[in-house]
Amino acid sequence: MKKKKIGKEIISAENVVKKFGDFEALKGVTAKIFEKEVVVVLGPSGSGKSTFIRTINRLEPHNSGKIVVDGVEINDDVKNLQKVRSNVGMVFQQFNLFPHLSVLRNVTLAPQKVKGLSRTEANDVAMALLERVGIPEQAEKFPSQLSGGQQQRVAIARALAMQPKIMLFDEPTSALDPEMIKEVLEVMTELAESGMTMICVTHEMGFAKSVADRFLFFDEGLIVEEGTPEHFFKNPKEERTKLFLSQIL
Amino acid sequence: MTTPRINFKEIKDWTIDNFFGSKLGILLTLFSALVITYFVLSMISFLSSAEWEVVTTNRRLLLLGRLPEEDTWRAWPILWLFCSIFCSSIGAWGNPKKRELLLLLLAFLMPAAIFFTLPYIVHIFATVLIGSVAYISSKIIRRTSYIEILKKALVSLWILIIPLSFTILIVGGGPQSNLWGGFLLNILLASVAVVAGFPLGILMAVGRATKLPVIKTVCTVYIETVRGAPLVGWLLLAWFVLPKFLPDLFGLNDLSVVIRAMIVLSFFASAYIAEVIRGGLQSISKGQLEAADALNLGYIDRMRIIVLPQAIRVVIPAIVSQFIGLFKDTSLVFILALTDLLQVGRIIPEQDPKFFGKQLEALLVVASLFWVVSVVLSNLSSKIEKNLGIGTR
Repeated sequence: MKKKKIGKEIISAENVVKKFGDFEALKGVTAKIFEKEVVVVLGPSGSGKSTFIRTINRLEPHNSGKIVVDGVEINDDVKNLQKVRSNVGMVFQQFNLFPHLSVLRNVTLAPQKVKGLSRTEANDVAMALLERVGIPEQAEKFPSQLSGGQQQRVAIARALAMQPKIMLFDEPTSALDPEMIKEVLEVMTELAESGMTMICVTHEMGFAKSVADRFLFFDEGLIVEEGTPEHFFKNPKEERTKLFLSQIL
Repeated sequence: MTTPRINFKEIKDWTIDNFFGSKLGILLTLFSALVITYFVLSMISFLSSAEWEVVTTNRRLLLLGRLPEEDTWRAWPILWLFCSIFCSSIGAWGNPKKRELLLLLLAFLMPAAIFFTLPYIVHIFATVLIGSVAYISSKIIRRTSYIEILKKALVSLWILIIPLSFTILIVGGGPQSNLWGGFLLNILLASVAVVAGFPLGILMAVGRATKLPVIKTVCTVYIETVRGAPLVGWLLLAWFVLPKFLPDLFGLNDLSVVIRAMIVLSFFASAYIAEVIRGGLQSISKGQLEAADALNLGYIDRMRIIVLPQAIRVVIPAIVSQFIGLFKDTSLVFILALTDLLQVGRIIPEQDPKFFGKQLEALLVVASLFWVVSVVLSNLSSKIEKNLGIGTR
């Protein structure tokens, strides 16, 4: 992949702790993400990787620590939260498209209601994005009439319609049939090459290897090891990292 | 060789298999035959001796209750208004098959036949004409681009139909509202209760589902209190107790009994609808809420555009069932000395010695009127379900 310029710091997490009852899902995570960087988050299930990216747009409020996104701290302040969420787009494992709205309406809804675009403006934005993810001809259909891969691409278009600075991907291909994974990864690769800041929780090592600037390896609620893909594939330091990589490669 | 001949052996085998296949089968067949024969015979003997005069002389009473003779004309514009909106809505949204249109026509013709009188033949003809014209013209408009305007107009008309009906009843020195009666009263009460109770029910359901403790408590207490007492109790309360508690402002104490009944029925409906909708709210997956949050949609947009449309869609059968129940519950207003359809049906056989013992005829007609409306409602609901079915899953 072409070398690209990585910008200034855009997300900083310091000592982030998240508890579910007595269970500590994050035990003090500290990480920095830079503009235009593509970070892949790895780790065994239950290691806290999904929880971590969900704290970045406060789908999971953290219990202690500090998260700053593009200069705005995430806390109980609703205005801050709105600023952060308007900068952060998210793609879910289960797509979470709105089943009662057409594909086009799924994409135009937030730009119209949150950014105040007119219907025609929002339609233009949405059609351009559906073109970009390769399914403009499905605009009038309902999500249930699309394949899983197509649905996930709509979900990506929906998140992009808000023109976020950062995109979070929470296992975007894990719910897909094998033959549909490729079409979603292609969209994600194109997005990475266009210079989007991305944090992806994924098990697609081929994609991770070719696109990621940096890996974060989570285990038991902590970042155990981080580094370039090269570092991870050639000489990982930690035993747990080695064990995990040997299991999934 | 293939002459179409009735195969007696096949018929015999089929009959034996289905009716006399086992000892239990024989027993059930004989028992059912006895029961069916009994009912058919009683039906025949009733129909052969039935005299419908009790109904035909009291037509106006059954439909309009104690509405004075000189105000009878007010019922027709209401019927025409409803008929035109209803038929053009079917034309604009529905795709009725011929069979369904025929059934609908029959459903309306049956009571029409019972209540048919020569002086009103022009009115009845006008009703049929208005309905057909409305249906056909909206079918034609449907092929043009004006259909969106028509649909919007129809939606506003459906909302306006109740105030319009009231206006027709009141305008130019109409009768006092406690003289409204008969089937007209049942329909008016039920429509008001549905139109007022449904939005209130949605608010209560959403309120009960919030995390805000004060709103949640208020809504929960409201729902449980209203559901906790029988409707008859609330109606009596509205009659006897309400005047003592309300401040004597704006003539609140002199509110007509009909208006009080409408208020009570609306509150009563809202509490039940709230619980039905709450069930629908719980069926919305967490992922839908998270997606709306991640898109930065506000609470109101999230509820209005994402959650409620999906929640209500899930519970349409239950909501319609509530509406049908409510429609029949309106007959309880006889407690407030109002003469609704059922009350008229109960009274008329006792008014004239020649009608003594004709309760069955009167009540059958009453029942069939309730039945027609309920069946039309439940058919509509299954139509709406099918129309909305697209894109659910």
